[in-house]
Amino acid sequence: MTTRLIPTVTDTGSAGRRLTFNIFRFDPQENGDKPKMVSYSLDETPGMTIFIALNRLRDEQDSSLQFDFVCRAGICGSCAMVINGLPTLACRTLTTRYPKGEITLMPLPGFELIGDLSVNTGKFMRQLAERLQLWLHPREGEQSIHALEQAMDPDEAARLYELERCVECGVCVSACATKQMRDTFVGAVGLMKIARFELDSRDGRSVEDFYHVIGNQDGVFGCMTLLGCQDNCPKDLPHMQQIAYLRRKMAMTLL
Amino acid sequence: MKLIYTDALIVGAGLAGLRVAIAAKERGLDTLVLSLIPAKRSHSAAAQGGMQASLGNALKGMGDDEDVHFQDTVKGSDWGCDQSVVRMFTHCAPKAVRELAHWGVPWTRVTAGPREVIVNAQKVTLEEAQAAHGLINARDFGGTQKWRTCYTADGTGHSLLYAMDNKAISMDIPVHERVEALALIHDGKRCHGVIARCLITGELRAYVAKATTIATGGYGRIYAVSTNAVICEGMGQALALETGVATLGNMEAVQFHPTAIVPVGILTTEGCRGDGGLLRDKDGYRFMPDYEPEKKELASRDVVSRRMTEHIRKGKGVDSPYGPHLWLDITLLGRKHIETNLREVQEICENFLGIDPVKDWIPVRPTQHYSMGGVRTDAKGQSPQLWGLFSVGEAACWDMHGFNRLGGNSLAETVVGGMIVGKYVADFCECNNLEVDTGLVQLFMDRVGDEIDALIDGGGSESPIVLKREMQRIMMDYVGIFRNGAELDKAVAGLKVLLERSRRLGLKCNKRHANPELVEALRVRRMLKVALTVACGAAARTESRGAHAREDYPQRNDRDWLKRTLASWPDSEALEPVLHYEALDVMQMELPPGYRGYGADNSIAHPDTERRSAQIAAILAELGDDADRYTRQRALMPFDLPDSLAPRNERLCDTLATPLTSVAGKISTGEQAL
Amino acid sequence: MAKRLNLTKWYAYLDVCQSLSGVLLAVFLWTHLLLVSSILLGGEAMAWVARTMELSFLSADGQGYPWVVSLIAIGVAGLALVHAVPALQKMPLTLRQHAALRTQMHSIDHGDTRLWYWQALTGGVILLLLPVHLWLIGSAPETIGPQGSGHRIWAQGAWLLYLPLLLAVELHAAIGIYRVVLKWGAARGLDTRIWLKKLKTLVSLLFIAIGLASLLAFLPYAPLAG
Repeated sequence: MTTRLIPTVTDTGSAGRRLTFNIFRFDPQENGDKPKMVSYSLDETPGMTIFIALNRLRDEQDSSLQFDFVCRAGICGSCAMVINGLPTLACRTLTTRYPKGEITLMPLPGFELIGDLSVNTGKFMRQLAERLQLWLHPREGEQSIHALEQAMDPDEAARLYELERCVECGVCVSACATKQMRDTFVGAVGLMKIARFELDSRDGRSVEDFYHVIGNQDGVFGCMTLLGCQDNCPKDLPHMQQIAYLRRKMAMTLL
Repeated sequence: MKLIYTDALIVGAGLAGLRVAIAAKERGLDTLVLSLIPAKRSHSAAAQGGMQASLGNALKGMGDDEDVHFQDTVKGSDWGCDQSVVRMFTHCAPKAVRELAHWGVPWTRVTAGPREVIVNAQKVTLEEAQAAHGLINARDFGGTQKWRTCYTADGTGHSLLYAMDNKAISMDIPVHERVEALALIHDGKRCHGVIARCLITGELRAYVAKATTIATGGYGRIYAVSTNAVICEGMGQALALETGVATLGNMEAVQFHPTAIVPVGILTTEGCRGDGGLLRDKDGYRFMPDYEPEKKELASRDVVSRRMTEHIRKGKGVDSPYGPHLWLDITLLGRKHIETNLREVQEICENFLGIDPVKDWIPVRPTQHYSMGGVRTDAKGQSPQLWGLFSVGEAACWDMHGFNRLGGNSLAETVVGGMIVGKYVADFCECNNLEVDTGLVQLFMDRVGDEIDALIDGGGSESPIVLKREMQRIMMDYVGIFRNGAELDKAVAGLKVLLERSRRLGLKCNKRHANPELVEALRVRRMLKVALTVACGAAARTESRGAHAREDYPQRNDRDWLKRTLASWPDSEALEPVLHYEALDVMQMELPPGYRGYGADNSIAHPDTERRSAQIAAILAELGDDADRYTRQRALMPFDLPDSLAPRNERLCDTLATPLTSVAGKISTGEQAL
Repeated sequence: MAKRLNLTKWYAYLDVCQSLSGVLLAVFLWTHLLLVSSILLGGEAMAWVARTMELSFLSADGQGYPWVVSLIAIGVAGLALVHAVPALQKMPLTLRQHAALRTQMHSIDHGDTRLWYWQALTGGVILLLLPVHLWLIGSAPETIGPQGSGHRIWAQGAWLLYLPLLLAVELHAAIGIYRVVLKWGAARGLDTRIWLKKLKTLVSLLFIAIGLASLLAFLPYAPLAG
């Protein structure tokens, strides 16, 4: 086997490039402030992500710039924003993905704007969870934490985990034209979670119970299958299949 | 003045904080949680591996119980832990796992029949028992005798946090998001709540409570590079420290993980090396065998981290704009293995480095990973100095990790600690009244208000971000993996200068509402104090124990240092903390100090060790061979738990008529090495 | 039916009706176009098709019953209504909704959303033009045939109606079928979706081509004006 010497991180960043960032700026709490796009420029460094770039801009050029990062590892879902027309997680977006060196950053549409690139996804998700009751409703019966646990089909557990990988980043909400037009629409995030609990054998809710929650224009029948959710989800969740599953399930209650 | 009253106030909405909130709410108490961010974004979500609990369902976990888990944890801590707390923890861990299953966590389950796994780079076939089919599975982790780490695929922390927060939402527990606690309200004896600032509007609010629980996680971000989320800045520890009364325990105990990617510091799993990955230097040379001829890349976390640092210091690191690093080479594992078994590593490489680990080497370096130290509490989670102040999870020094934490015990501590401490918090709230001294509240409110005024209008000139970067560099360079007297002194001196400078902070952005620079300024002062407790504690501790490795004192010295560092900051004008020590009583230990079974065996014994060992032998002899393991344990080191958590844990082996060995499957080892 | 009409299930009915009527309309549309395209095989062929559609084989004189065509036109109008009512509900009806849609489409670049936008636009066009078409045909079914149709299209200027209707309806139907397949989960994998999308484009183009060719093929049959 040939030893490969020094494949470098610098392979991934064309050294010496000067990047231009066009960033949406607006402070809704500042009297008289108007939304505007502001241009910044920054020298690209190898391996630079939007996370690194934004922090450098704030540290070096404008200390008032607002944005949200928490885990900066693509796990927590805090940093979704619209980068050159595509909503995605900023922390794991490399600047090398943009050959022209022009990067436009906009806050996620459809959420309350806190300022600049920061939007209040947390408030939205909590309200959604309360409205749709997005938690496990255990079946009747006492459950002991001291006794041997109930067995569960290993495949079912694996399936549930796959649906549970949603990080509530809000990308599906912002990418959904239906949701933008209809405030009360639950969006892919809500439907995905409903599907997750509907499939959980530990959940005591019946199909009719779920119909009551999502069997309407704000629920699964409001979805027009535009698939912005499917095409932009940073976790590649099976929105298309799950929403279709719920639609069939809810329509079957007619029979 | 905006006043908000509640019974149980919890600062931090990660797993530990939410679990305490649930425990309080279950008892009908008014409960309120403060969080910098939405609860589900907490750093708990980042724990991927799993949580340890001795269920003993999987074949390689059979025969596991609280006793084995206890021994592993104590040894892992290098005998720095509180053994009765470890007992409480190991007893409740299986309960927490089962409770979380009731709340919706889709734990990965055992599939009966044969499956292929890789142990010691060899293909091994395990035949799981029919009786275990569908029960909660476990995987292997470092420093454990049994496969004990329960998990949900590759996202255990995520699943746990989501189930926990969903439970909290179902119980209608309010979480005030984007709110930062800046000071504890206290009278020197009792804690009455916090003064907090809304990060959106900038409004200051007083949250007055019977019990206040700090569950804010670790302080990894006082280092330049950390695997921690950017919010893990030690603000909880600073809250306690700034009271001048409450103490922080073992702050110098900081864990480093060998292979986080450069520059962003995201972890690549230990599995990379476990499966045969190699570490290489700037010349492409595999250097680990030179340092550790026997275990090579697979020595323990702290050892590998130390060797890598040593090698970088010799100038063998690869230079990058983000500082020197080394290479992790998993190309030899082949595409198939990487795409099936290390999918997540591949994704990280693609997303953050733009490289394909099948073909390219991964830039890595040892990176700050976990804070064993924190707000010192008693076994009930309460500060011994400040009544009504509780702490739990990584934020606390409860103290089950001592000087080194085992993988899988951090996630476990959050939910188990939260479960136990939550009950004691509820007890406290039921037995005590809400005391509101508006004068006292106003005093603390004014203090925080004045601090903000001074930052905005004070005309200072020091930049918070410059001070923060400088602090992070000092911690990285001088209080890192290897420590020595000269460098630690340099660190302390440097941090003191920074703390002094932090009194003259000035801002470029003068908004009073959402203002990231103001947030930074308020934090950096507090972080500097936390950093000083780490540096001073490390400078004072002239021994090596667990993750605290002194080049000038390489031995573990039980004779002089079998004690816990306690740091407090009584004089707010002072530039360094006051350190005192709390001895660990060998005569009370169930497991007296000894050799860990890995790493160097070069400790200086404690004079009581031999005496206690003899005493234990005598006690056990007196009990006779008939005594069961519970009786023997109780005779050696009794421990308390809330009644509802006291019942014994049922295991698969208890439910079967035939002994497990005959129903359990077989392990067969393949011959071919991979 | 096992259960009585349940009002709480109103939205489920609406959704199923929209999809079902859409599929039926698309099937009708494509069949209809293929039948009309018989003109490409010559006037005789088309005349035969027209007669057969009027059930000439049932009538003694072989002339058939033109009112059958009128019935079909009424049926299609009915289906279209069933299809349009639930669909209209989902359109941006208020100014605020229009603004939100514009902002979203402006800031986020997404192919399938643009497809839907086209579907909505073409839907609007169809809503305007289809009744005219149905009226022309349904009110004078006996005129259908190479000469009659040729006269209508080219001499009376109905091509001004048919050309936009053809384009709108062929885009609308193919996109609609593509969407309905995804909507109900008939496409399991994402790869299926990719080829479905290609197929959809192909179907649109094919039928537009057939339609255009057929329109042109009527030209020789149109009695010269004046």
